[in-house]
Amino acid sequence: MSMSGLLRTSFTRTALRRGLATEAGQVAPRLKTFKIYRWSPDKPTEKPRLQEFQVDLNKCGPMVLDALLKIKDEQDGTLTLRRSCREGICGSCAMNIGGRNTLACLCKIDPDTSKESKIYPLPHMYVIKDLVPDLTQFYKQYKSVQPYLQRSSVPEDGKEILQSVEDRKKLDGLYECILCACCSTSCPSYWWNQEQYLGPAVLMQAYRWLIDSRDQASKMRKEMLQNSMSLYRCHTIMNCTKTCPKGLNPGFAIQEIKKSMALE
Amino acid sequence: MAKRLSGLQRDVLQMYRLCVREAHKKPLASRPNFLRYIRTEFVKYRDIPRKDFSTIEHLLRVGHRRLETFASPEVKDIH
Amino acid sequence: MFSKGLMQRQALRTLHQTGKKSLTIPFLSTLPQNPGGVKGDVNEAYQPPSPSRIHGSLHWDFQRVTSVALLPLVGSSLAAGGDVSVVADSVLATVLLGHIYVGYQSCIVDYIPARVYGKNHNYAMYLLTLGSLFALGGIYKLETEEDGLTGVVKKLWTAKSATEEKQ
Repeated sequence: MSMSGLLRTSFTRTALRRGLATEAGQVAPRLKTFKIYRWSPDKPTEKPRLQEFQVDLNKCGPMVLDALLKIKDEQDGTLTLRRSCREGICGSCAMNIGGRNTLACLCKIDPDTSKESKIYPLPHMYVIKDLVPDLTQFYKQYKSVQPYLQRSSVPEDGKEILQSVEDRKKLDGLYECILCACCSTSCPSYWWNQEQYLGPAVLMQAYRWLIDSRDQASKMRKEMLQNSMSLYRCHTIMNCTKTCPKGLNPGFAIQEIKKSMALE
Repeated sequence: MAKRLSGLQRDVLQMYRLCVREAHKKPLASRPNFLRYIRTEFVKYRDIPRKDFSTIEHLLRVGHRRLETFASPEVKDIH
Repeated sequence: MFSKGLMQRQALRTLHQTGKKSLTIPFLSTLPQNPGGVKGDVNEAYQPPSPSRIHGSLHWDFQRVTSVALLPLVGSSLAAGGDVSVVADSVLATVLLGHIYVGYQSCIVDYIPARVYGKNHNYAMYLLTLGSLFALGGIYKLETEEDGLTGVVKKLWTAKSATEEKQ
């Protein structure tokens, strides 16, 4: 009896609090200006430009992706961007927000409404439309490191290939990569030589398969990196680690590959 | 020829020739359709200024992609 | 399938104009680039250059070894105040030259890549090697006829302080 009474009071309290919160929001709109890169392939003669949009932060979610979708829904339906999971697991909404490559769904909107927020597509990539870059080369490079398990033998019992806890631990911090291309497109070396240099994201995946205890093709994998362009264009600038929206460390992984190849 | 063409202009002409050549590998019945399509696509951007390099380069890039798609033998006709 | 050779040649012809010009060195001739930097079909994997140990891991090793070796060499000659033996001094000068040589090689691979500049890449490498050989001759002259690299640095150092004293 007393239990249900307690529940009821707490329920009314939350309802009250919620009601108050919305009322307070309606009072003062907090208009934030977004400047978004626009370019349409349908009108190729028009030069790319920055378009301004104003969003009321009280009626918008906390992340930049929420604001972008609000703009797309309510102000300009032609705004084009890639997005899917809205929680930082698909890597689709990678873009340059306020000068930093990050995922729009993991980037909070700066609550300071006096400053405008600038949003560009990933730098040094061919733009397909608005915020959508052409990642063809990136995926081709990812394919070239053969990101799958390669073995010459299978276990005799016909069951799965076992791995010790320690060996599995080596993959932590590597397998979480979602291939959003934030790190690769922030790397100056990748800007100059992206036709040949693999870039931090792809090299980290190369490392992930190199140190996998179940993989037996590491000799072939290292041979593929054994030239001046693929791996050794990394100059430890470490922009990749700084920008990674998932908090991974591609720079470290590349150094580990270099170290393991030093005595070959 | 009256005027020497710039590198980019030669590229566009080369692209056009390539497209027509690909069209002539298609079945005889659908060939006019392909040729008409190529024409309309090129005429669409005829008025782009000669010096608008980035636009022309973009169109060439897109054109190559599209040519790759349409050149595959599975594509028999176009409308 | 359409003629692949023709496609490839045509593909190589595009995109070598101005769009990239702002990023390239103006007085060096460049090769035609693939449209969009993409070679071949969308679904084909990127093909890495052929493996070469000298340009790969050995180059990197040499860079690390020389930079690590320079630490005690520079440190000891600084600690000695410039009074080092001819042997130690010539080792310092040679290792420094080697370090600079591979460092510049990296710079050339970065900014004058063979992919874009073709032959000019090789010319830049030859020029670097020629300059380094000259420098090697210079080191020999310094060590045999004058008081070596540290001697030169010492002279420069004192000359600078002399002008300061005058002021």
